[in-house]
Amino acid sequence: MDQGQYLLLMAGCLAITLPLELLLGARVWRRPKRLLRTIVPLVVVYSIWDAAMIARGSWDYSDRYTTGILLPFAVPLEEVVFFIVIPICGLLTLEAVGSVLHALGRLRDGVPLGTVLRELPAGVPERERQPA
Amino acid sequence: MGVYTATALISVVVVLALELLWWRTGILTTWRYWLAMAIVLGFQVPVDGWLTKLSDPIVLYAEGDMTGVRAPWDIPIEDFAFGFGMVTLAMALWVRESRRETA
Repeated sequence: MDQGQYLLLMAGCLAITLPLELLLGARVWRRPKRLLRTIVPLVVVYSIWDAAMIARGSWDYSDRYTTGILLPFAVPLEEVVFFIVIPICGLLTLEAVGSVLHALGRLRDGVPLGTVLRELPAGVPERERQPA
Repeated sequence: MGVYTATALISVVVVLALELLWWRTGILTTWRYWLAMAIVLGFQVPVDGWLTKLSDPIVLYAEGDMTGVRAPWDIPIEDFAFGFGMVTLAMALWVRESRRETA
């Protein structure tokens, strides 16, 4: 159980951010292709940096709290999971904040609270999405 | 100051340069970006704090490669630059992809 601690922490991060997708209309998990195109280059770049720092001895990982599964260049499995999970949590936060700001704008425009709350899980309608 | 300090700072500069000079998604000028980053920072403290706690660490650092300043708790301050750069990169790439889809 101890050896799974780092991975469990990452699973916890995914679990705690899931309501952002389900209740606040983040629509990150529902865009798998875009998510993949965002995450893959990031994972590649950060894994290279990580591998270099591990090779240099800048940091190391507890044998007790990691699975011991090593990917090429001695990068622990957990690290790659980290480079996938944490950016996804960030994207969910970004989109959920966008949804909430959009909902607040609708309230200001006089849309009834019940309607705004009912529509919140759908997120920002496609036609109203700002590029940034 | 060490290799981790330097590379963490460089990563922030590179990510900001990519966004401001190349991708220009405009994300850095939006409220939702800064609010989201504040929330991410709030959650980084317990997660990173758990990973780096000196009493029972999951990640162990070579003190010579960093400033040695750890706060709050035992989090190396370099981790905040690391996290800021990584999450900003993710958000900028994400918004850039959305522009490609609608272009």
